[in-house]
Amino acid sequence: MEANNGTKKTRDRIGVILYVLYVVLLLASVVLFLKIAGIQLFFKPNPKIATALTPSSRARTLEPIRGNIIDCNGRILAMSCPTYQIAMDCTVRREEFAADTKKGEQREKAWQEKALALSRELPKVFPDKTADQYYKLIMDGRRNGKKYVRLGKPVDRNVYNRVKEFPLFNEGRNQGGFIAEQKNIRIYPYGKLARRTIGFVRDNSSAVGNTHVGLEGKFDYVLHGKEGKEWLKVTDAGRVQDNDSTRTRAEDGKDIRTTINIDYQDIAYRALYGEIAEETDLEGACLVLMESATGAIRAMVNLYRDGEAADFEEVSNLAIGRAIEPGSVFKTVTLMQVLSDGHIKSLEDLIPTNHGNIKGVRIAQDSHILDHERLHGTNSISVIDGFKISSNYVFGTLAVSNYSKKPMRFIENIHSYKLAEAFDFDLAGLATPTIPSPKDKNRYWSLTDLAVMGYGYGTRETPLHILTFYNAIANKGRMMKPYLVEDIEKDGNVKNMRGPALMSTICSKAVADTITRALKAVTEEGTARRLKDAKCPVAGKTGTSFGTYSGGGYKDEYGRHKYQGTFVGFFPADDPHYSVICTVFSKPTSKQFQGGGIPARAIKSLVNGLYSIDPCFQPKLTASK
Amino acid sequence: MDKTWKIQDLGRGLRNSLVAMLHGEFLLRLNVGRYFVHIVYVFFLFAMVIWISLMIENTMNKVENNKSVLQELEIVHSQKVFDLVSLSKRSSVRDLLEQKGSKLTEPTQPATLLIK
Repeated sequence: MEANNGTKKTRDRIGVILYVLYVVLLLASVVLFLKIAGIQLFFKPNPKIATALTPSSRARTLEPIRGNIIDCNGRILAMSCPTYQIAMDCTVRREEFAADTKKGEQREKAWQEKALALSRELPKVFPDKTADQYYKLIMDGRRNGKKYVRLGKPVDRNVYNRVKEFPLFNEGRNQGGFIAEQKNIRIYPYGKLARRTIGFVRDNSSAVGNTHVGLEGKFDYVLHGKEGKEWLKVTDAGRVQDNDSTRTRAEDGKDIRTTINIDYQDIAYRALYGEIAEETDLEGACLVLMESATGAIRAMVNLYRDGEAADFEEVSNLAIGRAIEPGSVFKTVTLMQVLSDGHIKSLEDLIPTNHGNIKGVRIAQDSHILDHERLHGTNSISVIDGFKISSNYVFGTLAVSNYSKKPMRFIENIHSYKLAEAFDFDLAGLATPTIPSPKDKNRYWSLTDLAVMGYGYGTRETPLHILTFYNAIANKGRMMKPYLVEDIEKDGNVKNMRGPALMSTICSKAVADTITRALKAVTEEGTARRLKDAKCPVAGKTGTSFGTYSGGGYKDEYGRHKYQGTFVGFFPADDPHYSVICTVFSKPTSKQFQGGGIPARAIKSLVNGLYSIDPCFQPKLTASK
Repeated sequence: MDKTWKIQDLGRGLRNSLVAMLHGEFLLRLNVGRYFVHIVYVFFLFAMVIWISLMIENTMNKVENNKSVLQELEIVHSQKVFDLVSLSKRSSVRDLLEQKGSKLTEPTQPATLLIK
C-alpha cells in the first residue's frame, strides 16, 4: 500500500485482522440497517409464524384502587373490598382414580365421602340449597365432566376463610377442586344510609353509565384513578415482571370527603322511616338537613317504594330529581316579595277578607277565611294570621293586588331568589324548576296564574330549591349554594378544597327577621303546631299540594288525590344552625297527607335526635378561677 | 513474499485453528497474547451479565411472591375496616346495647361544654 508521502508502509498482522474485522462488521451493520428498514416498511409476516415466534411475554393491567367516600368526620361511606365467587371443579382426580386399576375404586369412594361431608357444610354459608341438593349437584357435575360449578353468591373474606376449610376444599384446587375467583367490588359499610346520595358503582372497572349514580358517578373521574401497565415474562417460577420492559405504575383514585354526617343521616333516616314505614299509600319521601351558614348538606334521605316493592329503598333521589308544585311553602316567596318591594309595612297589615274570594280571579273560595270571619267576627285579616292558617286567599290577593300591573316584577323576583334555575350541584339530575311567565308565547297568561303562583301552584320546584330559599332566610338573606363535597383528598392530604359558596343575597336582614317571625308563628300557633313542643324552637312552614294526573287534573275518576306534603324550616328558630325540609309523596289515595302531618312529625323526631348530640345545643359553663 | 490465496487455504486455516484450540494455543497463534487480559475481561463481563440476569429474575420472583403477600394483607385489612366501620353505625350500636341488656341509651340532654 502506498502512503501519501510515497513511502511503503507495512501493516502488522494484527492490524490487518482488525481492519478485516472492521470491514466485515461495517458490512454487517449496513446489511442489518437495510434489513431493519425492510422489515419496518415492507415486511408482512405470516400470522401463524408470527404467533408461534412471539415470545410468551404479555402485558398486565395494574388496576388502581378506587378512592373512598368519607363523611365529614372521616368515616368511610364507600370503599372497595374483595369478594369471592366460590366454585368447584367436580372432575378433579376422576381420571386419576379411573386409571388406577388396583385402588382406584376405593379412592373414588373416599373422595365421594368427602364430597358428602362438604355438602353438609355448604348450606351453612349458602342456604339456598340443602345438603342433599349440593351432593346431587357435585355428583352430577362429576358424572357430566363439569369443571366449573358455581356455589352460591359472592362472599366476603370471612366466609371465604370458612369455606376453604371445609372437607375436600381444604385439599386445594388440584386435590379438592376448590375454585375461588376474587373480584373487588364497592361496598357501603352503612348499608342503606345515604345510599342514593353516595350513589352506586358495580366495580372500578365498569364503564360509567347507569351503574354510576350519585357521588360515585359524578366524581368517578376523581375516584377511579389511572390504570398502570407492566410486562410479564415466563420463568421457571411462573410469570414475573419483565425488568427489560417499561412499567407504568397504577395511580390510585383520590378520596372524597362529603359534608354528610353519618350520625345525623342515621337519625334523619330513622326519623323519616319511622313515620312512613306503615303507610301503604305513600310512594316515597325525602328529608334534607342543611347547615345554615355554609349550605353543607349534613343528611339527605330519599326513600322510595318502587312499584309494588314491599319496603322503601334509597333508589331515587326525590330531593333533587322531582320538581313539584310546592304548595303553601311558596307563600313565603310571596311574603318576601311584598316585604322587600314595600307593598306591606308589617305583618300586622290588614287585608279585607271579601268572604275568601280574590277580586278579579275565579278561584275556589278560601274556607279558612270563612272560618276566620266567623270566629273573629271581622271582615279583615292580618298578613301574619293569613300566614299562620296558610290562607290561599291572603297570598293570592297579595300577589294580584300588588303585581297585576307588573307581573314580570313578580317573576323576576322569583328568578332572583334562584328558584327558576337548576344551579350547579354535586349530584347529577337536579330538575329545572318551571316558572310560568307572561312572556311565554305558548301559554295564555291571566291573573289567575298570578294568584295561584302567590300561594304555590302553577310553579314546579324541587325540595332542594325550596330548602335553599328557606336557608337564605335562616342566614339573614345570604343564599348559600348547597353542596355535598367538602374536599378531595389523597392519603389524608387535601388536594382540592371546595367548601361553601355564596349564590346571592336575596333580601335584607330586616325582611329575613320579619319572615322568621312569621315562620315561628306557624310552628307556635299555626299549621305546624305539632313542632311546638320540639326540644328546640323551630321556625317553618307547611305546604300541601296535589300531583297532577295525565289529563292535567288533580283528581282521578275515584276522586283520589296524589298528595305532596311538605314541611320546611330551620332551627333553633332564634339562632338558626340547620335548615331542613321533608316532603312526602302519596300514591292516589283518599287519605290525607298534609305537610303538618308526617313531615312535621319526622322533623320533630330529627330535631329531638340532634338536640342531644349537636354541639350547637351544648350549654356552656365557664370555669371560675 | 506475495502469496495468492486459495480456497483450500481457508480449509487449512480452519483446521489449524481447530488444532490450535485443542492445544490451547489459539490466542497465541493469533499473536494476541498482549490482549489476553481484555479477552478475559470480556468473558468476565459476559459471566456477570448472565449471573446478574439470574439474580434479577430471582428477585423478581420474590417481588411477585411479596406482592401476593401484600395483596393478601390488604384484603384482610380492608375486610377488617369494613367490619369495624359497619359496627360504628349509631343505630347498630344502640341495638347491640339493647341486645346485651345495657342500660346505656342515647343521651336525652346535650352535654355541658366547660370553658376555661
